[in-house]
Amino acid sequence: MPDLTITGLAKSFGDNAVLHDLDLRAEDGELFTLLGPSGCGKSTTLWSIAGLHPPDRGRIAFGDRVVFDDRRVDVPPEKRNCGVVFQSYAVWPHLTVHDNVGYPLKLRKVSRRERSERVAEVLELVELGGLEGRYPHELSGGQQQRVALARALAHPPDLLLLDEPFSNLDAKLRERARDWLRILQQRIGVTTVFVTHDQDEALSMSDRIMVMDRGRVRQVGTPEEIYHQPADEFVADFIGTVNVLDGHVAPGADRSRVRVEGLGEPLLVSPPAPAEGAARLAIRPERIVVHPSGAPAATPNVVTVKVRSTAFLGDHYRYVVVLGDHELVVRTLTRIDHGTELTLELPPDAIRAYAARG
Amino acid sequence: MTAAVPAGVGPRGPAPGRAGLLSRRLASTTAGHYVIWAVALLVLVGPVLAVAAAALWSTPLYESGGHLTLDNFRDLLGDPTWWRAVGNSFVFATISTLSSVTLGVVAAVLLTRTNLPFRRLLTGVFVLPVLLPGLVLVVGWMATWAPSGYVTSWLELNTVLTFPIDLYSLGGMALVATSVAAPTVFLLCRTTVLSIDSSLEDAARSAGAGPVRALLSVTVPLLRPAITNSTLLVFAVVFEVLGLPLILGFSKNITLVSTYLYDHWINGTSAEQGVVAAGALFLLAFVSALLVVRNRVVGDTGRFATVMGKSSAKRLVDLGPWRWPLAALAAGVLVVLVVVPLVGVVASSLTSIFSPLISPWSVLTSDNFEAVLDNPVWMDSVVNSLLIATVGGLVATVVIALLSLVAHRSEFRMRGSLQQAMLWPRMMPGLVCGMAFFWAFVLLDPTDTLRGSLWGLGLAFAVRSLAVGYSAFYPALAAIGRDLDLAARVSGAGWWRSMISISLRLSIPAMATCFVLLFVSMLNDSDPAVFLVTDETPVMGLTMLQLAATSTGGAVAAFGVIQMLLTVAVLALGRLFLGKRIHA
Repeated sequence: MPDLTITGLAKSFGDNAVLHDLDLRAEDGELFTLLGPSGCGKSTTLWSIAGLHPPDRGRIAFGDRVVFDDRRVDVPPEKRNCGVVFQSYAVWPHLTVHDNVGYPLKLRKVSRRERSERVAEVLELVELGGLEGRYPHELSGGQQQRVALARALAHPPDLLLLDEPFSNLDAKLRERARDWLRILQQRIGVTTVFVTHDQDEALSMSDRIMVMDRGRVRQVGTPEEIYHQPADEFVADFIGTVNVLDGHVAPGADRSRVRVEGLGEPLLVSPPAPAEGAARLAIRPERIVVHPSGAPAATPNVVTVKVRSTAFLGDHYRYVVVLGDHELVVRTLTRIDHGTELTLELPPDAIRAYAARG
Repeated sequence: MTAAVPAGVGPRGPAPGRAGLLSRRLASTTAGHYVIWAVALLVLVGPVLAVAAAALWSTPLYESGGHLTLDNFRDLLGDPTWWRAVGNSFVFATISTLSSVTLGVVAAVLLTRTNLPFRRLLTGVFVLPVLLPGLVLVVGWMATWAPSGYVTSWLELNTVLTFPIDLYSLGGMALVATSVAAPTVFLLCRTTVLSIDSSLEDAARSAGAGPVRALLSVTVPLLRPAITNSTLLVFAVVFEVLGLPLILGFSKNITLVSTYLYDHWINGTSAEQGVVAAGALFLLAFVSALLVVRNRVVGDTGRFATVMGKSSAKRLVDLGPWRWPLAALAAGVLVVLVVVPLVGVVASSLTSIFSPLISPWSVLTSDNFEAVLDNPVWMDSVVNSLLIATVGGLVATVVIALLSLVAHRSEFRMRGSLQQAMLWPRMMPGLVCGMAFFWAFVLLDPTDTLRGSLWGLGLAFAVRSLAVGYSAFYPALAAIGRDLDLAARVSGAGWWRSMISISLRLSIPAMATCFVLLFVSMLNDSDPAVFLVTDETPVMGLTMLQLAATSTGGAVAAFGVIQMLLTVAVLALGRLFLGKRIHA
């Protein structure tokens, strides 16, 4: 299976640039996720790869086969040999499951016998064996989605493209489908580009994630990297929940000590803040340590806070506390008996410091 | 990576070296689009240019010589009868529009939002004139409500009542026009009434308004866009109509713009043809301007409302003790406007004399129908119309589907202009359309093979009906997700292949609806035929028009009944097979 290389991809609609010189490289067999809020350009990127939307500039190559190059080369979608699963599934209602899945093979002039064998094989793969004769309206949403996947895999494709394929499934089914698709993708080893706005999907399925915002790449990395070492405040805020504190590094001072309004001592951060002046500190709720009976001496970044509210959320407890001018969210797995005040530890390596924007 | 899927069953994508082949294939798709676009523009827009040429040329275009001139316009504008015709048309269109909008809006509210008894039956009777060939109803009006008509005479003989309106006056013509135009207003407004969220009315109710008050203060004002829309539409359509004023205006010599053009074409010298072209341009400009204003005001929702039967789950307003008197009033209006004329046309087709002085039962006869069957011209026109409607309707349906796909589903650069071109014929009055094709055939087809044939006639009818079909087809196409054909593209199908195997295949039900509408419309169309018909190619609509304009009596009624039965049969078959009601 070839890898995918995109260089300098740009697209605007009128004055509105939706992609700014985007570069991307998905390795052979990798499940590569484009993650971002709506309007970030992830779908435009996917359509450009499929050939359904010509970009303005840039270069797209599958392995060493160039499919788009600054409008000099623009291979039409039917010649790109991609398999696409649409958000709506786009399963043809007038064709049976067999004919839906067999359609790409028919176009490739595969003989009838071979086609039937291949269709059966792919349907077996997506666990729909025996449903060849059904029509789409006789299938559940989850089954239709697997028909769409089987059709996308039938040729077989050089590249599998998935456009928010789980968004029409209910929550329970979505989680199952996620695990199932991940296992299938690893078995087949097809290079896959997956578009989603759902961080849980992205984190649980991807080899690597590219976080996008308003047509620009914010960070590319493994799920762990993206979650634990977000490159900037946008990524930190978009993936999971994060507390953000406004801080300040005095000129000439140690950049690993950031002052926060309302705290006597500066907070120790590791790695240090990127620059002097205003800074933003991000810390995940579950990384904050609660010390119900006081912290051991010499523990850095220990603060005493007022508890504003408590909520029980089934698998965890959620406390909102007041720290200086800020509200912090703290998560714990067990209930903590507390008075009006609570002692917290903010471990230095759990805090990410970013330069304040603007 | 354990490859559970053995690769290599399907051929791989093309090697980079095949780029030349690819661009050639791409180019052929685009070339196909260009050819379709050019032919469509030539057929849809081109003929109007021919009318302009005829108006600006000193001699008819089929004669040699001549020069550019404005004389035709000068002659037209200097003719007092032209100005009288324009004045009459304005009066006629204004009265008709006012009365049909009033009637249509009241009916839309009364029949959809109140608990009026028998409202389904009343609705069915009310919209009947839209479905039937218009001239048949006019013949029915003459047989019953004309000064010498059956019911008028009966009233005078047996009661103190008289029918207050002379059918052969502008007011009488407007009354007949109302019976056809009011249901159009009704259908347009009913769609809006049904789409209004009833919680808006509920809000007024909870604010303290009674049910009728809530209906009048919330729903009726929300109808304003629909009322504006139907007002402009009805005015434009009534202004251009030919058959009705030709038949009813004949005896008192009342000339409208359309009959002025008809008369000068049929009875005038060939030198007057330029004047007629100039008049046609005026008519076209005026009607187009009205419809452009309408599109600006309300958006382009279709000159021909295509409404499928739709059940309403709205809460009905209780009329209380008024429901029975109102129902009786509504029934009375419908009896006068629809039931009596229809019964009249059927009765006069089955009797040798239809008069209150003689019991109809004593003069029952099938002679009228035998006369129709024995008359070769009449039978020819039935056969010709069926041919045009069947073949033309089929071809036009396929063409509409094809053009819609290029206009809405391709990446073709000029697709926007194609969308405009498909909407354009709805601006064209039938007379102008016929004349446009006449002059276009003169210019482009010197051998006259097309002009004298059913094909030429069918082409003009098809262009005129294009908008009806497109209005029915396009919403269905829009409802077919774009993803479905994109999925075919990425599976390996080229543009044409993906269109044929997916989009066209899925729009077959819409094409069937489109065909039924085109069939009915082309079966009964008359106005364009005025300019194109020959002795060998009579068509039903025009034959009916010419008969009704010059004679009355049982045979005309019988011919009308045959026309009506054919129409109803096709609509019923459409209903049976497509499972929905079709209103054109």
